Amino acid sequence: MLRFIAADLRRQWAGALAILLLVALATALGVVVTLQERALRLGSARAADAFDLVVGAPGSETQLVLSSVFLQAAPLPLLPGTVLAGLIADPRVTWAAPVGFGDFIEGYPIVGTTPVLVEGMGGLAQGRGFARLGEAVIGANVGMRLGDHFHPQHGRVGEPGGTHTEITYHVVGRLAPTGTPWDRAVLVPIETVWLAHHHDEADAAGAAATNPFLRNAHADAAHEGDAQEAEPLNDEAHSGETHGSETHGSETHGSETHGSETLEGEAGQPDALDAPIRADSLTDPHAPGVPAIVVKPRSIADAYKLRQAYRTDHTWAVFPGEVLTRLYGTLGDVRLVLSLVASGAQALVGAAILLVVTIHVVQRRRQIGALRALGAPRLAIFAIVWGEVALIAAGGLAAGFALGYGGALALSSAFSTASGVSLPVAFVPGDLARLAGLVLAAAIVASLPAVLAYRQSPAAALRG
Amino acid sequence: MPPDTPRSDAPRSGAPRFLRLRAVEQRFPGLDMPALAIAALDIAAGEQVAVMGPSGSGKTTLINLLTGLERVGQGSLIWGDTDLATLSEGARDRWRAANVGLVMQDFHLFPGLSALENVLLPQRLARLVLPAGAQAEAGRLLARVGIERQGQAIETMSRGQMQRVAVARALAVRPAIIVADEPTASLDADSGAAVAQLLLELAGESGATLLVATHDAALVARLPRVLRLESGRLKD
Repeated sequence: MLRFIAADLRRQWAGALAILLLVALATALGVVVTLQERALRLGSARAADAFDLVVGAPGSETQLVLSSVFLQAAPLPLLPGTVLAGLIADPRVTWAAPVGFGDFIEGYPIVGTTPVLVEGMGGLAQGRGFARLGEAVIGANVGMRLGDHFHPQHGRVGEPGGTHTEITYHVVGRLAPTGTPWDRAVLVPIETVWLAHHHDEADAAGAAATNPFLRNAHADAAHEGDAQEAEPLNDEAHSGETHGSETHGSETHGSETHGSETLEGEAGQPDALDAPIRADSLTDPHAPGVPAIVVKPRSIADAYKLRQAYRTDHTWAVFPGEVLTRLYGTLGDVRLVLSLVASGAQALVGAAILLVVTIHVVQRRRQIGALRALGAPRLAIFAIVWGEVALIAAGGLAAGFALGYGGALALSSAFSTASGVSLPVAFVPGDLARLAGLVLAAAIVASLPAVLAYRQSPAAALRG
Repeated sequence: MPPDTPRSDAPRSGAPRFLRLRAVEQRFPGLDMPALAIAALDIAAGEQVAVMGPSGSGKTTLINLLTGLERVGQGSLIWGDTDLATLSEGARDRWRAANVGLVMQDFHLFPGLSALENVLLPQRLARLVLPAGAQAEAGRLLARVGIERQGQAIETMSRGQMQRVAVARALAVRPAIIVADEPTASLDADSGAAVAQLLLELAGESGATLLVATHDAALVARLPRVLRLESGRLKD
């Protein structure tokens, strides 16, 4: 019987293949929806692992999480400088780090923060953390090398607004891979971000004079200038004339090509970006504002207390996990709709295939009649028709799962490349049960044309 | 000669009666007249019989009843000890598989299978395991009908070769009854004559009862007994 089925399928391979592909594509549609939605949940949850609590100004919680955790650029209202100072000093806080956005380099967002966040993100794979205003730590997937220099481009990724020629960053470290958008981020001292944006202002000099941080930065630079002359930084790459051979967009090397308006070497002036970062500048209540602060509470109880304490008229604290859960709820609804669409497509394909198979059985009635006339029992006829249909359907379902898996991998890869969020595509035991359910459904549906063949009178079939 | 058997439908020799058909009437929906109405027909074991008649005379209906493909509507049809009128469809399938070898005008061989696989197909479908010796017997029969390349795909054979394979298939289970429905109609004269010769020889060698529905005058002439049907009734 198996030889007969195999010979029959071989003889009608084109039709069988077409049906198999239809089943496979319809199945793959549903599999992609399921796998991709799951990957998005897993990936986003993993990306938020390092962020227990995020504090921002009152506004959209979702936007706050998307911006601080997933580095999706969006204008956020600023928190007063006192908030960061308060959090750093809070005994319920292990660490608190600002997340300041603005500027990018070759499609990689530049994030202003502090060294504690570098450790909080999982530490470094190469080099060291930034210690001076002009130093940067790059994410695991940023296409730069240690020792490279670059000028930040103003604005947001994809919306270039000019180059900060007055600022040159020097790459000193690379983060360990995190599977999050931070793999594509460039971390720099928050103070330098403040500095860059104050420098944009028309009255930059005035701002420097009135802003305590800027005042400190210039004073530090002046203070360190002499020391550096006597004892140069142990940082080979800093001297751009001999290092940093790669050019990145607006990058220049060292300071020889910087514009006339520069913070790092104006004629005879000490290089402001050589100044070390200072922890006390963050705790200054007059420090510039930040859009978001990432907080690591000491305990779960502290996390809840902090969230409560920072839900005020001026601040808003959120658990990213909680916000994501709400987002998943929306995603779940979308998945349900997509699943229904996919199921509808599968049902339509199933019905069309059932129709085709039934027509095929009717067209083969003489052959089936002949088999009966030659002595084949009705059960054998049932088994032949059922076996062929079930085999094609099962093959299509298996191919559909494989196609769906491949499609989800491709989509995840494209999404990861674009966003940096690693989306893990994986089957779970429930998927196996789903496959088994679909095979069972196909087996039941296959029995319909088989029953039709089973009930066919051989004499009537042979009469044609 | 049995007293209840009309003279023209009785076996010609004194051989033991094998088929006993009485008061059979077969009607189909939409037809006023019965498609077949035979008061009595006896055929002896090993007899070779031609069934003739114009189109619509009831030849196919008679063949279908004799082979159990259709259930007898009215009357009795007894082969040996088995009354087909009392058997269910499944039981008639089993009886046919064990006792009847069929040769049809359109061969009904299955492409994608070799000559040998086609000969063995009915047995493979009827049983889970091929009986011992079945393969050797199929090979012997194919050789007997002149098919040397038994592994050759059936669709690559000539029509004459195909009908010879069909003859071998009909004989593979050593049936007591061989029924051929227009076995030479789709063949050229030479091939038809060769197939007719084979049927007669092999039926004779196996001792099977041979029933041939045909318009082929040459074939009819070689069969010892002829049944003539007209409007569903046997004619003298």
